[in-house]
Amino acid sequence: MEKRSDSPFPRKDRPVLAAVGVALVVSTVLFAWSDRKHDWRWYQHDFRRQVVEKLGADRAKAVPRGVQQIWVANLRRADRCITCHQATNWKGFEAAEHPFRTHPPEILKTHPVEKYGCTSCHGGQGWAIDVEDAHAPAEHWEEPVLGTELGEAYSIVDDKKALMQMNCNVCHRYDRHTPGADSINLAKALVREKGCRACHFVNGRGGTIGPDLTWVGDKAPEQYEYGRLSGQKTAFAWHVAHFKDPRALVPDTVMPNFHFSTKEAQALAMLTLSWRRAPVPADYRPGVPRTDAPTPEEVAAEKWIETGPGAWFVKTGCFVCHSVSALGVKSPAQIGPDLSTAVEDVQSRFGRTVDDFLAAPTGTMAVVLSRQIILSPAEKAIAVQKLREAFAEHQKQKAAGVAAAQSGGPTTP
Amino acid sequence: MSSDPPTTKATFSGAAPEAPGFHPRRLWSWRPASDRQAGDAVVSNFLLHWFPAKTHRASLAWSYSFWLGTVSAALLLLLTVSGLPLLFLYIPSVERAYASVKDIEYVVTFGSWIRAVHRISAHLMVIAVALHLVRVFVTAAYKNPLGGGQRRQWNWVLGVVMLLLTLFLSFTGYLLPWDQLAYWAVTVGTNIASSVPAIGPNIRELLIGGRTIEQPTLIRFYVLHVLFLPGLLGVLFAYHMWRIRKDGGLASADRVALAARKVEKPPSKTKTYTLLGIARGTAPRIRAATVESGEESVNSVPDLARRAAIVVLGTIAVVGILSVFIRSPLEEPANPLITPNPAKAPWYFLWLQEVVTDTTIHIGRFTINGAFIGGVLLPGILIALLTVWPWLDRSPAAATGVWFDRARRRQNVVFLAILVAILLLTVVGTFLRGPYWNFYWPWQPWPELPSRI
Repeated sequence: MEKRSDSPFPRKDRPVLAAVGVALVVSTVLFAWSDRKHDWRWYQHDFRRQVVEKLGADRAKAVPRGVQQIWVANLRRADRCITCHQATNWKGFEAAEHPFRTHPPEILKTHPVEKYGCTSCHGGQGWAIDVEDAHAPAEHWEEPVLGTELGEAYSIVDDKKALMQMNCNVCHRYDRHTPGADSINLAKALVREKGCRACHFVNGRGGTIGPDLTWVGDKAPEQYEYGRLSGQKTAFAWHVAHFKDPRALVPDTVMPNFHFSTKEAQALAMLTLSWRRAPVPADYRPGVPRTDAPTPEEVAAEKWIETGPGAWFVKTGCFVCHSVSALGVKSPAQIGPDLSTAVEDVQSRFGRTVDDFLAAPTGTMAVVLSRQIILSPAEKAIAVQKLREAFAEHQKQKAAGVAAAQSGGPTTP
Repeated sequence: MSSDPPTTKATFSGAAPEAPGFHPRRLWSWRPASDRQAGDAVVSNFLLHWFPAKTHRASLAWSYSFWLGTVSAALLLLLTVSGLPLLFLYIPSVERAYASVKDIEYVVTFGSWIRAVHRISAHLMVIAVALHLVRVFVTAAYKNPLGGGQRRQWNWVLGVVMLLLTLFLSFTGYLLPWDQLAYWAVTVGTNIASSVPAIGPNIRELLIGGRTIEQPTLIRFYVLHVLFLPGLLGVLFAYHMWRIRKDGGLASADRVALAARKVEKPPSKTKTYTLLGIARGTAPRIRAATVESGEESVNSVPDLARRAAIVVLGTIAVVGILSVFIRSPLEEPANPLITPNPAKAPWYFLWLQEVVTDTTIHIGRFTINGAFIGGVLLPGILIALLTVWPWLDRSPAAATGVWFDRARRRQNVVFLAILVAILLLTVVGTFLRGPYWNFYWPWQPWPELPSRI
């Protein structure tokens, strides 16, 4: 007989299992919701509405949807700021509230967003797509947005956005004057005027009485002594206070008090914090010539080749294969023999005079003179004459060399 | 139930062949209509095949085992399932690991939740496995009261190894995000390993693939974390399950078997077919405890299956909901030049870090480092004792399968005292230690941590 034994469990367990099922549904709804609830969806919606209002529904179609980013491969930065700051490249939003404001276009002409991204100048966390995390100072992100808000928190004198110049100077650190970075320019002028390098080593020169400041911007905030600093415990605040009165923070320091104004102390703090070992690609550095500059000797040698007595061999193209050392012509390839001794050399190799050989060349020269360098009889006559001149010069130098070797004096070119 | 419900009866009275394992109705095995079908269900459904046909009621009790082993297994399942997508997204390279975790956190769809599930499951698994071990100890469930083929002591040893594997799995996962938390927790952990006498530095070098924590460390920990340790744990887990079947289920069921009145079965008639004809007679009289049938057991399907479902799905639901609200931390990128203050090991090792600090003695200019005592000697002794304890426990068979039996009072008290000490040290290390490992009460603020700007 097919029977099933009685069990006391189902009566209690079934409702529990049902409750677990409900909890699973709740869990699914919650995590789906938590992935949807980001602020950027609202900002994108709002921006599209504003574009419709200002520019019409057609233009609004061009507004991208979803998470947007600028990937700057050189800097390994993914800046997702444009997910919310969508108006960056749109005309007509110059007076709008953030995040819907157009970026000032002038600076973008020299610093295209595609090449520099956002955070390399503005600071902030490019990875993040939520307002709090992106702008920082979030927990565990030491690069806050260097904007007006932070400037107000530090009571920056005059331009509240001046803190951003710290990031300008990461690339522009070797500039004497950077247009637009007034605070940094002020600080650099102070460094020269007050003679900071008498004690401190900066950018490759200076004294050794004070610490080397070349990479002082990389010093970790934990490495400062805040015992005598009141207020915010930050590296920036420390530097401002220290510039105003070094002895107040470090009692046994020998650094004199320069009686800097608040503005000057803030500018100097920005400058020192900008001295960082940031990985700046070579072509991001302004003012550095992007070429292998020749030395003056190399320039002079090149000029001599082009205008000197051997210039004919250069213009004609002989020098590609042949040096004419007596006339100072050096072949880049040096495939053929030196032409200084051609008058003698041709005779010994082919048993013919140079005139004869050039009139009816054999071997490689037959190919070259019939295809690459085609000379008229008149030009060939010039060639022979030039070769004779070169040989004469060669013999003269040889004689001078022997005489010099005998007298022990230096050889002259 | 006196007879089958009419609906299922109709299904089975048709032309369908009644071969075991064959049923025309889908998912029939989850709702068997008879004991025979319930037994068939175990044989014919892959997901149920590791269950016995019948389970002791005592084994199913919520309040005996608290189903901690099942919870651990459910967390292991969650860790495997949530680890798979992370495997596609995470890049085990010093230059890119941190950025890939940032991407998982910020822009991968459900990425933040998946990572939270993985992290919370890992932390909970350490807790669940440890509690499971505590339960087995205080109920003396490593003993073999029925004798025979029981070898529960070896399942206990397996369990201790699996606890260590769980800790090591969690620890290897700690390094992967390559942030400050990861870097310095592993620095602290591996420095403790180097305090083993004589071969300590070699152990550390073997562990991290060099003298500093760098790319070789990351790839070692990565391979251990995603391949070697989970594989090993999977094999041991299967063996652990198999041994439970071989040992006759939970120890509480043995207790029922011992207590059951050994009823004398009336000799049954036997019929033997021999070459010379049919021999009839009676079987020998036997006295046996019959826990397999009757009042003491129920069909595994659906009763055990339902409870297992409650525990596994419940664990998934709880972790799923927690993961929405608890975000996984990701600190600054790893920086070997800046030590966070305080630098702490993972929380389950903090009791050891606390012991290391407390046993470090300064005499004048000399320092006796406590790393050997706290990092090697103490945990070594405790693990060795745990492993061999089933052979040292001389309590009677009747003390098995019950919480805090009188006969085991002394060892339970000592065990719990050690446990409480570990817990207290963990709490102190986790919550009450601030910069420079100084002691701070919860109401005492830590000194403000400086920032750059």
